[in-house]
Amino acid sequence: MITANVLRNRTAGELTEGERAILEAAVLETRLLPADQVAVRQGEPVNVSILLVHGFMTRRVDAADGRRHLVGGHVPGDFVDLHAYVLKKLDHDVAALTDATVAIVPHARLERIQSECESLTRRLWFLTLQDAAIHRQWIYRLSSLNAYQRIAHFLCEINARLLAIGASDGAVFELPMTQVDLGEVCSLTNVHVNRVLRQLRENELCTVRASRVEIHDLKALVAAGQFDSQYLFLNQQTAARACGLESR
Amino acid sequence: MTRRPAVLKPCEHPGKASAEDGVVLLDGPDGVAVAMTPDAAAQTAESLLRAAAQARASHGPAGNGDQG
Repeated sequence: MITANVLRNRTAGELTEGERAILEAAVLETRLLPADQVAVRQGEPVNVSILLVHGFMTRRVDAADGRRHLVGGHVPGDFVDLHAYVLKKLDHDVAALTDATVAIVPHARLERIQSECESLTRRLWFLTLQDAAIHRQWIYRLSSLNAYQRIAHFLCEINARLLAIGASDGAVFELPMTQVDLGEVCSLTNVHVNRVLRQLRENELCTVRASRVEIHDLKALVAAGQFDSQYLFLNQQTAARACGLESR
Repeated sequence: MTRRPAVLKPCEHPGKASAEDGVVLLDGPDGVAVAMTPDAAAQTAESLLRAAAQARASHGPAGNGDQG
């Protein structure tokens, strides 16, 4: 099911059967995107939005000096560029981080949802607001946390988001990101990332190796990253698990 | 209601510099996380020392003047 992970384990509640049927019917087609392919380019007009079904995607901004910044990360169930429905062009690129399966939803069909289904419209609005909340937290992470805290915070966030869709068990998850990618998320050089990952391993908080994260002490990792999952709007049980407060 | 601390006051805690793979890493204070070449780090250190001396001179012997 294309929409299986949409709003899964969020405070907004699951989609009703009716809402899910409407959303599934709004999908024009699914596409496979190879890793690194740009799906939406900055400044280009768009008339469809992308629902991520499988894989990881990112939002990228290229700085004037050529450095790339990853300013957003997406996991299955995320409506990656729903804001393009209103904006009609993006201020950043959207690209596949891994091979990804995406569902294409034309804006004309979103328009129909908006006029015909108030409850689903409100849920889609929730998704864009949640997106904004995540962006605010990414700003906080870069402005207030040091290198060790930034990486710990990011790993906690990804674990929480994957927990919500059943792609993490709270202890182990796949993270198909290189150290360069992590550096672009956390504004750190490769050397800095490398050292922090070693420190996290030596402190027995987690091990990041070969696209796989193994969390040894989630509570300690949460404390190290000063992570509070409130901004992810997870349901109570998932939020507790994301902070290591409840067993699997 | 908890009062928030005064904003944007000069930090009283120093950053910590270390060497890793031929690069100087500066962690803190606050959210600082910078990697520099040894030359850039040495020049930054000299610049910081000069600025610290100027700041002390302009704000008396305590040297930790409240900028807020």
